[in-house]
Formats: sequence, C-alpha cells, structure tokens
Amino acid sequence: MIISFFSGFDQILIEVALALAPIFIIVCFYQWFVFHMESEDFLNIIKGFILTFLGIAIFLQGVYAGFMPIGQKMGTILGASPINWVLIPIGFLLGFVAILAEPAVHVMNEQVEKVSGGYIPQKILLYSVSLGVAFSVALAMARILYGIPLAYILIPGYLLAFFMMRYTDETFISIAFDSGGVSTGPMTVSFILAMAIGVATAIEGRDPVQEGFGLISLVALAPVLTVLTLGFIYDKLYKNTQNDENEQSEGY
Amino acid sequence: MSRIKELALEVIYSVIPITLVIFIIQLLLKFSLTDLIQFLLGTFFVCLGLLLFFLGTKIGIVPIGEMIGDHLPKTGKIRLILFIGFLLGFAITVAEPDVQILATQVDLVSGGNVTKLVLISAVGIGVAIFISLSLYKLIKNIHIKYFLIASYTIVFLLAIFSPPDFIPIAMDSGGVTTGPITVPFIVALGVGVAGAFGGRRSSFGFVGLASVGPILAVMLLGVILGR
Repeated sequence: MIISFFSGFDQILIEVALALAPIFIIVCFYQWFVFHMESEDFLNIIKGFILTFLGIAIFLQGVYAGFMPIGQKMGTILGASPINWVLIPIGFLLGFVAILAEPAVHVMNEQVEKVSGGYIPQKILLYSVSLGVAFSVALAMARILYGIPLAYILIPGYLLAFFMMRYTDETFISIAFDSGGVSTGPMTVSFILAMAIGVATAIEGRDPVQEGFGLISLVALAPVLTVLTLGFIYDKLYKNTQNDENEQSEGY
Repeated sequence: MSRIKELALEVIYSVIPITLVIFIIQLLLKFSLTDLIQFLLGTFFVCLGLLLFFLGTKIGIVPIGEMIGDHLPKTGKIRLILFIGFLLGFAITVAEPDVQILATQVDLVSGGNVTKLVLISAVGIGVAIFISLSLYKLIKNIHIKYFLIASYTIVFLLAIFSPPDFIPIAMDSGGVTTGPITVPFIVALGVGVAGAFGGRRSSFGFVGLASVGPILAVMLLGVILGR
C-alpha cells in the first residue's frame, strides 16, 4: 500500500521539471543580460526554485495518490446512494470550510478593507465570500444530480455581474473579478472537483465530462457577485453619508 | 525560522478544516482503514508540499516577478513590455500546479481526448495574451469593464459553436489558472509596472483578466477540434 502510494512519483518529477523550465529559462536570461545580480542573490533565487520544484512534486503526489482517488470514491458512493440529495448540504459544508481557510482569500480581504477605508471589514467579506462559495458548491452538486446545463447558471450570473458593474466603481470591479480567480484554490480543484466527477460517474444518464466539470467556474462566480454587492452597498450607503457630511460641513 | 513557522501554521490552518470534514464523512460512510490511511498520507503530502512550495515561491518566484515588473517600464518600449508580458504569462501558467491537476483530471475523464499537453498549452497561451492585454490596459489607462464585457461576450458566443464537452472544461480552466504560483507572480509584476505611474494606477484586475484568457483559448480549441 505504501509502495503503491509512491508509484508514479518519477513521472511527476519529470512533469514538474518541464513545467518549471520555461520560467527558469526566462530568469536565467534576465540574470545574464539584464540583472547581473550578485551570485549570492542569484543563488537564493535558485534555492527558491528548488523548493518550489520539490514542493509542487510532493503536493501533486499527495493529490494524485490521496485526494483524487478518495474524492472520486466518495462522490461515487454518495451519488449512487438512494439519499444522494445529501450531496447538496455536504457540498455546502465543504465549500464553506474550503474557502474560509484559503490563504489567498485572506490577502484579498485585506485589500478590500484597505480600499474601502475600513468600511468593509475583513470578517464580513470573508463570511460573505465563504457563504457565496458554499452556495456555489451546493448548486454545482444540484446541477449534477438534476442535470442542469452549466449555461443556465453562468449566463444569468455573469449578466447580473455586468449589470451591477454599472453601479460599482472600477477598483471594486477589478477586485471582484480578481477574487473570482483567487477563491479556487488547491483544495477545491483537487478534492471537491474529484468528488463531483465521482458523482457524475455514478448517476445514470450523466456525462462525467459535461456534468462533472463546471464546478470550478461556479465557485469562481460566487465571490464576483459577493464583492460587487458589497461594493454596491459601500457606494450607496457610505459615499452618500459622506456626501451629506461634506455638504453640511462645507455648507453648500 | 519564524517565517517558516508562520507559513507552516498558514498551511495547516488552510488544510485542516476541510480534511476534518472529509474525514468525518469517510467515517460515516464506513470507508476501509486502507482508504483512511491513504487519505491521511495524502493530506500529509499536501501539507508538506504546500509548505515547501509557498516558501520557494516567496524566495524565488515573487522577487523575480517584482524585479522584472520594476524593470519593464524602464525600457519604455510598449511592444517589448507586451511581448515580455506574453512570455511571462505563458511560462508562469504552465508551472501552476492547479492547472496540472485540472489537466490530469480532464485527460483521465475524457479518456485521452483532450490530452494534458494540449490543455496546458491552450491555457498558457490564453493567459499570455490576457497578461499582455492587462499591461496594455494599465499603460493606456482603459476602464476594465470594456475588457470584461467584450471578453465574456465572446466567451458566450463561442460557447454556441463549441462542442458541449468543452464548455465546462473551458469555464473551469479560467478558475484554475489563478492559483498559488500565478497570483503572487502576476500581482508582483502588475505592481511593478503600475509603480512606474507613481501610484496613480492600480494593478487590481490583472488576476481577473488573466482568468478570461484560458476560457477563450479552450473554447476556441473546442471549436477547432470539434469540426
């Protein structure tokens, strides 16, 4: 069992080396022709690359040998069970805890707090994005169970986002779309997606390619709408009260 | 040392809640002991891998992004900036572990119809083009909404002509592009270039625009392969 866990690691090492090669070549090129860093500084960069290389390889091994097969198995068992609707609350729970802990989401929250001048506190944003993503994963599970086409959800979702863009300023629009990408971290992509594919495989009449995939795009849509909504509220409430105050103090 | 400890805690905090929930579900579903061990071993590898990887990104990848981002505007040649942005966008995306994971799953599920290499290349080219576009937007100070509305409109138009198998994969490619290696690098690059304008322009929106590129590229791949 332990031996089978490590099978395929040599293949992963080759793939990761190939994946990192292009950026490494660019770095070497820059070092020789532009930067001319001290050898000590350049050595640090090389160390960083070696750590990145080992880190990605070990991470991928854990995902391929542990998360993906177990996720898929769990999805298959739950999808085939007579009470497969439990996937909807389970999806909700998984989505919520996956995002609550995502480091990249915390970075984004700090940005929003800064841009809104502290008006949108990190906690509020964190919980609203987590709820948004939780709802998305639940929706993604429902989509697989009942065979709803992806476009039926994504097209209205993005239309709503574009509509809200009219009432939100550019910084919030930018952060909203940034956060959409940021929220889909390694846990969602490795475990939750594998589970969704398992569910789609288990249910009669579902296509694992058409119904299994699509989950990540729904997860990416949730924070876009959440941040735009918060930006809209911020714009309407905070700026209005600020204008009133200005008018009173400046006495126009 | 304290930095390593901080990163280790960050990794543990981000992985533990979800693994705990999954573990409890496994117990409820009466998974075998082998499965439980396999999952825990996987969790350990994921944690160790993420720790090394975050550390490496901080030491090696992000400083490079900052240095190149700082240097690019000094060249003063828009075409050169856009070209380097293209190369960097491609190079950093093919290195992204999230992209690798999605491509592996697509390769497996589609039975080799969409191979790993083809998908990763399409995603990489998509990001590359959109990093160039983001830099152009930053330099010319164009409102982001024009780019977003135009690109998502093209996405939905292409979806009409794309075979149904490709639509979910294309949409998902957009999400995975912006993972733990790409985001800090792109942000560092954007901050560097935006810095040349003395803080009057922000680098927000780079990540959001970078996610549209792969959607378009993979849809287009579908339209071409689907014929």
